[in-house]
Amino acid sequence: MFAAPETHPHDLPTFHSQISMPYTLTPGRAAGTFLAEMPNRRIVGSRFPDGTVIAPAQDFSPVDGEEPEALVQAPETGVLTAFTRVNGDVIGLVRLDGCANEFPHRILADLDVLSVGQRVAAQWSDGDEGTSITAIKGFALAPDAPEGKVIDLADPAEPLGVINYSMSLDFDHAYGPYYGRMFDEIREHGRVMGVRVSNGDDALLPPREVDDVTHKRTGTWKACGNTGTIRGCSIINMEILGQARKPPYVYAEIVLDGASTRMIHVIDIDDLESAKEKIRPGTRVRAIWTDGERQGRVSDIDRFEVIEE
Amino acid sequence: MGREVGIVGVGQTHHSRRRTDVSQAGLVREAVNRALADAKLSMDEIDTVVVATGPVLFAAVNQPEKWVVDAIGAQGKSVVRLTSGGGAGFAGALAGYYQVAGGYSERTLVVAYDKLSEGQLQYSISTLYDPFWGREFAVGIMGFSAAYWRARMDVLGHTEEAAAMVSAKNRKNSIANPYAHVKKEVTVEEVLNSKPLCWPIKLLDVPPISDGAAAIVLSNEKLAHHSTTRPAWIRGIAYCCEADNAPERSLMLSEPLAIAAKKVYRAAGITNPRRQFDVVEVQEPYSCFELNYYESLGLCPPGEAADLIASGATQLDGDIPVNPSGGCMGANPIGAVGVIRLIEGATQVMGRNESHQITGANTALVQSGGGWANLRGCAVLSA
Amino acid sequence: MSMPRVGIVSTSMTQLRPAWDSAQHIDLISAVVLDVFKGTGLTLDDVDFIIDSGSDVLDGRSISNCGFLGALGAHHKEEARVEEDGLWAALYGVNKIRAGSSSVGLIVAYSKPSESRDIDLYWGSMVEPFYQRPVGFGQKAALGMQAQRYFAAHGIDGKDAAALVARRWAAAAEGGQVAIDAVPDSDAVLASAEAAAPLTDLMISRPVDGAVAMLLSTEDIAARLGRAPAIITGMGTSMETHAFSARSANQLESVAKAAAMAGAKAGWKPSEADVAEVSASSAVGELLVLEGLGLAGAGKGLDAAMSDKVNRSGGALPADPLMATGLVRLAEAYKQLSQPHAGANAPRRAVVHGTGGVAMQTNCVFTLEV
Repeated sequence: MFAAPETHPHDLPTFHSQISMPYTLTPGRAAGTFLAEMPNRRIVGSRFPDGTVIAPAQDFSPVDGEEPEALVQAPETGVLTAFTRVNGDVIGLVRLDGCANEFPHRILADLDVLSVGQRVAAQWSDGDEGTSITAIKGFALAPDAPEGKVIDLADPAEPLGVINYSMSLDFDHAYGPYYGRMFDEIREHGRVMGVRVSNGDDALLPPREVDDVTHKRTGTWKACGNTGTIRGCSIINMEILGQARKPPYVYAEIVLDGASTRMIHVIDIDDLESAKEKIRPGTRVRAIWTDGERQGRVSDIDRFEVIEE
Repeated sequence: MGREVGIVGVGQTHHSRRRTDVSQAGLVREAVNRALADAKLSMDEIDTVVVATGPVLFAAVNQPEKWVVDAIGAQGKSVVRLTSGGGAGFAGALAGYYQVAGGYSERTLVVAYDKLSEGQLQYSISTLYDPFWGREFAVGIMGFSAAYWRARMDVLGHTEEAAAMVSAKNRKNSIANPYAHVKKEVTVEEVLNSKPLCWPIKLLDVPPISDGAAAIVLSNEKLAHHSTTRPAWIRGIAYCCEADNAPERSLMLSEPLAIAAKKVYRAAGITNPRRQFDVVEVQEPYSCFELNYYESLGLCPPGEAADLIASGATQLDGDIPVNPSGGCMGANPIGAVGVIRLIEGATQVMGRNESHQITGANTALVQSGGGWANLRGCAVLSA
Repeated sequence: MSMPRVGIVSTSMTQLRPAWDSAQHIDLISAVVLDVFKGTGLTLDDVDFIIDSGSDVLDGRSISNCGFLGALGAHHKEEARVEEDGLWAALYGVNKIRAGSSSVGLIVAYSKPSESRDIDLYWGSMVEPFYQRPVGFGQKAALGMQAQRYFAAHGIDGKDAAALVARRWAAAAEGGQVAIDAVPDSDAVLASAEAAAPLTDLMISRPVDGAVAMLLSTEDIAARLGRAPAIITGMGTSMETHAFSARSANQLESVAKAAAMAGAKAGWKPSEADVAEVSASSAVGELLVLEGLGLAGAGKGLDAAMSDKVNRSGGALPADPLMATGLVRLAEAYKQLSQPHAGANAPRRAVVHGTGGVAMQTNCVFTLEV
């Protein structure tokens, strides 16, 4: 059984990393129409060739994948078929009148008073929820609500082609004994240390317990040089989301002296043409450390510079 | 290799820069319906399904096969997802191959897709990098790919001009491909003069960003005749890797591809690839990679890829046409590309390729891959 | 040509902990890969392929297998990533060996859910983004409604669920594989915070960090390596509709389908197993699995759950290393079958179950025999 030493980097319990990105998602015809109809306060469903109706509308039957023959307008009333409470919010399954399926939504009532089979009715949001399904605030108990009917969908709105969406994930990554020591050394001593490969003197960067190639245990720690050699490099001349530096600059994979594997970093340049000549595989470079306080990250090295011969 | 496994039906979407009329799930359905129709089968006659896509961050749906299952009517079936970056589709086909070859199923549907218009492509690929080590300087996969092309220029002579010839060839071939969405002939000069993005990679060395899906039906020998009289039999298929930060990684020849080729050629009885293959389909995420594959697949010795493309041998009328379909330059829905290349190779040996049927094609080589150029595979198909 | 049978040669597992905060993914992975060869006579050189299970969303990096290849021992080998529970990785591995092109395979599954600041996002990103995500529907809501329906249909309540949970934690504590500070009794389970009414926190499986590795080989190789090998004689898997609301209430049809597939290959029914190791996302989920496997009739899952043959390891409730849980179950079943036992009462057959998706949308069943 693996038993890691209970070591932690000094003052660096975990490494926070965030992945956050904008998206433009396409809902497809059925959901696109449903969402487009939210501001009109109409609930759109799908009718299948055998006459069954499901709501909210789907392009494919969740039961067997069949395609619907028409979009319809579903009523705002139905029955509660299941319920729970998560983080204080009551969520339930609702079957709208005239529909064969159920779907999840907020239930606007205390959990204690709910029972399966209760009549419910949609409540529309007072605020502007745009084309989100949350334009329906939820379903409230409506014991006396008359049975609603599915009707034809008159003059349906054009389906939304794209909706804006974002996803953000936060991570607190463990350093472990190897990365922990490496980043401590970077922060406290301004040096890059790796561990020797299992069968030689060169250091693996980043360090780890087991050699990537031989799958044998790695050796002792070793400080790598402040200088190194470019293995591969390209001149970045385009902007992409999430980029830390403004182009143009050089993306370089550098083998530090005494190391066997690459470190990924950047080299500042004046212009494309001179960089093509000056910076190439084999070019010698030197790490330029930050003037500010070191944080224990790769970016404590601000950049690399070409060593003029 | 185990039992005979054949590709008996194929289908792909008409790929496009952005499909705003269908969801991810709807896109997958189109390809599946076409493949089933092509194989003269219904979903009821499929035992198992493999779904393959690129990384989750491409389109913000985690384990998307669990949503897609509804759109393809595969509820209740054995459904599993494979993912392997750019090579996801190929990795999915490989898993499907073993489901049939291992007797777990008689017929397996493999569908692969990506709807790249929905996300931020290069930024999501940057998250491939270790968050501690390198991600802050990552430039998608393009910065990396260009860096090692630059290194191969010096060692192997993969010049900008040679790569430009690849791009010009593939873009020209795409024009006849009914499923491609970039159909514009370019000259070698135009490629060389296009805007540097991550030099040496320039705008016209880069394939488009696409929405697309592709599906194949795999069948065992017993049932194959229900679908076609001329299946594309998989004579060998393998997908190998190397540790991303291994000291011994040369990034000159692709070692994992060479290892995969050795396994596959042995299984398929290939001893002289240049002469024995009638047609080759490769996944070139940038033009420079096609040169790398020529050498790694043994179509020419190391250092001679530039000569091979210059000789015209890999053109449509050459002795070993590569990417008659136009490859990725016509359409590049990344996760689907491995299956698209298999489809293009399969239809060649089935005698019904829709772009450029190579006359008398009987044996095809298909290549695919992903990651940091460290996941690489190939397959041999024949009638 | 008959296909070879496939057996388990050995397994290795880290401790399952709420947070392996002193180790990275690669530390856990390389540790189990190093360890799995001990006592087998095999080395990594003998391994033809590696199949791994993990999640980009949990790992916080795309194509995460790509960064872990060295730790996996995969350098210059065939490798595949199944983005599903590890039991599906094993299924792939068995097929690969049965096809005849390989004879030894390494299966690895791992996860570190502790590194996700909000684990609910892992589940939330699994449901479609137009109708379900905006209203807060996700794993917890689905499990809550599943339990609410089951309780109402079968006249059991939180106390019954709590008794099951307490039993599982006690078993896990006894097994020693799971890090447990204090074993909760039924009252403590009932008293834990509400997760999704009627389920409390402890009635939902506890995400833990860990890694597991397993060597598979052809039967003849496994037989030569030592004890009578445990043979995987049946496999089945089935995925239900994405729409939780469209699935049958109070049953997991996909478990029954997967069990039927596996049973047909093995030639016996899961209900005839001596040992059952099953996964579950909640206490009620475990009852539904046992009913789906045919170990109990509808609504009678609790009777089977309290039997000595079910989840001796404690199952998934006290320790659910997402993406690895099913492979852990297979490893636990293997241990129970391969340990020396006296006489005719020795267990000879096991049924093993893994699951994935919101409210257990997909399920996988193996049969294992010595």
